[in-house]
Amino acid sequence: MIAPVFFYSALIIMVGAFIAVLRVLLGPTVPDRVVGVDTLNTLVVAGMVLLGAAYDRTIYIDIAIVYAILSYIGTLAIARYLQGGLK
Amino acid sequence: MKSNDMGLIVKTMARTTIPLIGIFGVYIVSHGHLTPGGGFQGGATIAGAGVLLLLAFGLSEMRKRYNHKVYSVLESIGGLTFLGAAMLGFSVAFFYNTLWHNGPVLNGQPGTLLSAGYLPIMNLAVGLKVFAGLVSALAAIAAYRRWKE
Repeated sequence: MIAPVFFYSALIIMVGAFIAVLRVLLGPTVPDRVVGVDTLNTLVVAGMVLLGAAYDRTIYIDIAIVYAILSYIGTLAIARYLQGGLK
Repeated sequence: MKSNDMGLIVKTMARTTIPLIGIFGVYIVSHGHLTPGGGFQGGATIAGAGVLLLLAFGLSEMRKRYNHKVYSVLESIGGLTFLGAAMLGFSVAFFYNTLWHNGPVLNGQPGTLLSAGYLPIMNLAVGLKVFAGLVSALAAIAAYRRWKE
């Protein structure tokens, strides 16, 4: 059972993700790109949850949780590097 | 910049998030035969907790918590457990799933946690090996520095 409502919302999320990718490509400074990637991570998590609902598979939510955790760690690593690295 | 760790917010957040990541990684590893994921994915997720410890608390805290010998032994135990599970049904064939066909444990209804013969044992072994290997590799990379005396 594929619910079309969730597909339309995933499409809207995809439009937002495309705008975030635009910021990653165009961003004049490095922190701009980092914020773009962080926004993209959150939108991808939202898209995963919506597609999990659209395909009616609860196990897809596990992958969204793992992605949310690891994107947080990745953003933290870039922030740590930008503030001076491991001393 | 000068301090060895990140700010108070990141440290407090890491204190609450590291057990969460560990529990979720163990869930992925132990349900490897039922849900997406398995040994490698769960092990890499648990190694993410080690990365978070290293990032939030700095290298000195990591040096206190990390023992190279212990992690080396853990990685070897993971590999040997995988090989031992593969050798269990050696009287029939290598990688013969004797626990599933006529074993005392892990032969429940398919779809339950205690099923699938040696697969949960192999998932645990691979998860332990991947976790220990990734954490020790990252600790070695973080401790290695050439640009400062």
